[in-house]
Amino acid sequence: MKPLLDRLGKEWLFCDGGSGTILQANGLQPGELPETWNLSHKERIVKLHRDYFESGADIVVTNTFGANALKFPDHEELRQIVTNAVTLAKQARKEVGREDDAYVALDLGPTGKLLEPLGDLSFDRAVELFSEVVRYGAEAGCDLISIETMNDSYEVKAAVLAAKESCDLPVFATTTYDTDGKLLTGAPVEGVVALLEGLGVNALGVNCSLGPEQMLPIAQRLVNAASIPVIVNPNAGLPRVEDGKTVYDVGPEEFADIMEQIADLGIQVAGGCCGTTPAHIHLLKERILKNHPFKPQTHKHRTVVTSFSQVVEIGPRPVVIGERINPTGKKKFQEALKNHDIESILQVGLSEEDQGADILDVNVGIPKIDEPAMMQEVVTRLQGVTGLPLQIDTSDPKALERALRYYNGKPMVNSVNGKAENIEAVMPIVKKYGGVLVGLVLDEAGIPETADGRLAIAKKIYAAADRYGISRDDIVIDGLTMTISSDQSAAATTLETIRRVRDELHGHTILGVSNVSFGLPARELINANFLTMAIQNGLSSAIINPGNEVMMQAFRTSCALLGMDPQCMNFIAHYSGYVSSAKRAAGQAQQAASSAVKAEGGSALQDAIRRGMKESAASLTIEALKTRDGLSIINEDLIPALDVVGNEFEKKIVFLPQLLMSAEAANAAFDEIKKTMTGAPQKKKAKVILATVKGDIHDIGKNIVKVIMENYGYEVIDLGRDVPPETIVDTAIRENVPLVGLSALMTTTVVAMEETIKQLHEKKPDTKVMVGGAVMTQEFADQIGADFYGKDAMASVRYAESMFGDDKN
Amino acid sequence: MAVLQVPIDVREVKVRKSEIARYLGYRGVTPDTAVETRIDACLAKLVAMSRVRDCYQVFDLTQNEDTLSFAGVLVTSKSLSRNLRACSRVILFAATIGPGVDALIRRSELTSMTDAAIYQAAGAALIEAVCDQLNLSLKELARSKGLFLRPRFSPGYGDVPLALQKDFFRILDPAKNCGISLSDSLLMSPSKSVTALIGVSEKDTPCILDGCESCENAATCAFRR
Repeated sequence: MKPLLDRLGKEWLFCDGGSGTILQANGLQPGELPETWNLSHKERIVKLHRDYFESGADIVVTNTFGANALKFPDHEELRQIVTNAVTLAKQARKEVGREDDAYVALDLGPTGKLLEPLGDLSFDRAVELFSEVVRYGAEAGCDLISIETMNDSYEVKAAVLAAKESCDLPVFATTTYDTDGKLLTGAPVEGVVALLEGLGVNALGVNCSLGPEQMLPIAQRLVNAASIPVIVNPNAGLPRVEDGKTVYDVGPEEFADIMEQIADLGIQVAGGCCGTTPAHIHLLKERILKNHPFKPQTHKHRTVVTSFSQVVEIGPRPVVIGERINPTGKKKFQEALKNHDIESILQVGLSEEDQGADILDVNVGIPKIDEPAMMQEVVTRLQGVTGLPLQIDTSDPKALERALRYYNGKPMVNSVNGKAENIEAVMPIVKKYGGVLVGLVLDEAGIPETADGRLAIAKKIYAAADRYGISRDDIVIDGLTMTISSDQSAAATTLETIRRVRDELHGHTILGVSNVSFGLPARELINANFLTMAIQNGLSSAIINPGNEVMMQAFRTSCALLGMDPQCMNFIAHYSGYVSSAKRAAGQAQQAASSAVKAEGGSALQDAIRRGMKESAASLTIEALKTRDGLSIINEDLIPALDVVGNEFEKKIVFLPQLLMSAEAANAAFDEIKKTMTGAPQKKKAKVILATVKGDIHDIGKNIVKVIMENYGYEVIDLGRDVPPETIVDTAIRENVPLVGLSALMTTTVVAMEETIKQLHEKKPDTKVMVGGAVMTQEFADQIGADFYGKDAMASVRYAESMFGDDKN
Repeated sequence: MAVLQVPIDVREVKVRKSEIARYLGYRGVTPDTAVETRIDACLAKLVAMSRVRDCYQVFDLTQNEDTLSFAGVLVTSKSLSRNLRACSRVILFAATIGPGVDALIRRSELTSMTDAAIYQAAGAALIEAVCDQLNLSLKELARSKGLFLRPRFSPGYGDVPLALQKDFFRILDPAKNCGISLSDSLLMSPSKSVTALIGVSEKDTPCILDGCESCENAATCAFRR
């Protein structure tokens, strides 16, 4: 048999069509798992495949779409199903005499479970599930792995990794898009292409959900983005009911007509999905071969960084990479890492996003922490809350590998340098997982003083990328910013380097900008002007603090001036309300004077908190702190204001949003007070554990309770969601916690709540348990032995106050 | 199995703001302007992040006293039997507004719990509105064939066990068809997803069993209409 890879991308190849409708017509019942027929109705499966081979399909997929250990927990049964699937397809191929020119693809469909953080299937488990099937299929002798109908970029990544780690066979991957060209979990066509090319699949494309007509624009986008062969397998239109039967509405003629148009776009592999039949495939093949000469795929030369939902292209305009997730020189950030305070790290990233970053640099390297574990946690949790692509910034190859494995998308990687040892450590990882790699122009001999020297190292890095099979488009050269206070020509050398990388090597560049001003006063002036010059010299990406307004002004202004901001829209959007610096200074003085007057009585701050005005509460607190100490502000303003809102909430005068807005305003005030006080500004009343019980993954109710309880001075130990009883009990004992709050959303998880209460009462009898959640009632709470039922956040606070409140001391 | 779809454009789904307020705990009171502005902003973002998907299929239904049989499933339930009385067929459907709302909630929990609570409420109102629209389309479709639909009824309502979700997921495969998955504890992800049964009848029997009124928790539920 001619190897598939000798033909793929060089001549037309055709896939088979739908199987579900055909099997149903042969007696498959609703809800019956089609894969069981590999054991019980072998002859019908052989017939299905034989018809497709005879119709001209070059690639026929096995009947293993849903074959995984979630649906078939008995591994021996699963092995038999997968092995039979391959054997039956091979038998069909033999019966029709196509052993020389047709291939059997092991079909991998979605697991049916959503991956974390959206659902409850871990990435490792997903890889394991797919790997098992791939091993059985490869052992049985399939010719390739066909991953299909994937809705989620993370799941398709798990499947591709499983395939590549468990066998050496070619891998095809097709995903399912909505009409707007996005996966259910948000990735657009271009993002999926970047991800799959980065992972090294042999062909990629689209299947299912849409008919050929709706798929046409998606096929166009695939062809525009991909540099490897593109597969298009549409449904036979949309299903509808006819005489009580579900039928698809596009017949072979119409199907072939539209597939001819799709063929012209420049795809390389064509076939069908749900509702298509051997007749569809036969006609499609005949027409395409007759009328449409094969066009190989072209290389697109694009540098693309992605997340699960966003695509950032490096090249069309400079991109801003936020530098703030980095402990270097930041005491507070170092503390957060040491205390495992992930939330405040995430908050840094979210504020960079709001400030206009395109990509977030992530560096969590401090001495004495487990950097690989921390990197994995920060990367996955960041991806739970932001769609910005990330730049993995680490010198530890283990941390790099972890981050790249669990990253959802195609990240940037910071960095590799010209040292042979470093190239050897970093490039294989980037080759395996995909990524846009930053190359630092330094090597064993140090940092060259001249641009010539730096370009030589850049060339060395490009050559190494060639050797490892990493596309040159995926390399971004760091020209290295050196400080001008120690070398007056440093900036000029850096600028020359990036200009020549662009002009002579046709590459992209990156700079960590702020190093240039080290040791000088008014650093932002130097940094901002250097950034402008660097953009003028062709800089493709800048690592900066997007919270620094002067830098962002320089960035947006440069883009507008250099024609990289169409119609200056971005500039206008940010600066249409711009106030000149002279006017701004005058206005600020006035505002400070007026708020100082209001703050004196304390009522303005109380009012700001009651009305939930975050910014006012913070600025009024800053003013108040000039004349009063933090504790008196807490006791005389914050607490009374919160009490008023709490009372009004209980009397149903105000409602949840206002209660939370006040809590946020009070938090903003607390934050200002904390900055001026060493140690805890507020005496903690008691420790309280909050957790959503095992099996329950929705925790907003618990989080609302947390915010309010923290306001009232409780030290909340938040154990998160889906927490096993043992963890809660152990923590209560270890930390000697007198009060535990449990939340459950569903009747099914109340069982876990009951179990937790039972264990707590048994092993830590002096700890009280309060419960809440959508299905909870007083009656229910009594039944499962809870000490208190909190119908809302304030009720929980009141219960705690009855135990630990000030009047109790 | 092959499933059918009602195309729904999320931008055309009418979400009643009074419903969002109701989910936020408001009872007969309209939120003040500050809160209302915030709800508007959150709803706009939510709609932009939503990815509506649905799927349904029609099955023959037989009833024997309180035991119902459809698509190879047997369910014994008083409340569902009442809901499906005089129905010869039943529609099983699943719908979701996608995982975007969950991402918005998670993000807001770090930046503003107020927004998180609003997204939660707006998401609940949006998926209900999507289901209303889906029902309306199905109703019109049925009407054109001289058939009538009963109000939708979800697993977990009344005395119908939530475990019926497992059958739903086996038969309708919302994982493949809508991207909804079911956890071992029978929770759906994305969280703003609905599965339900709709009875199909040749008779237009007025039915009092609708939404909250059909629910046995109506007396104590905080979100009751």
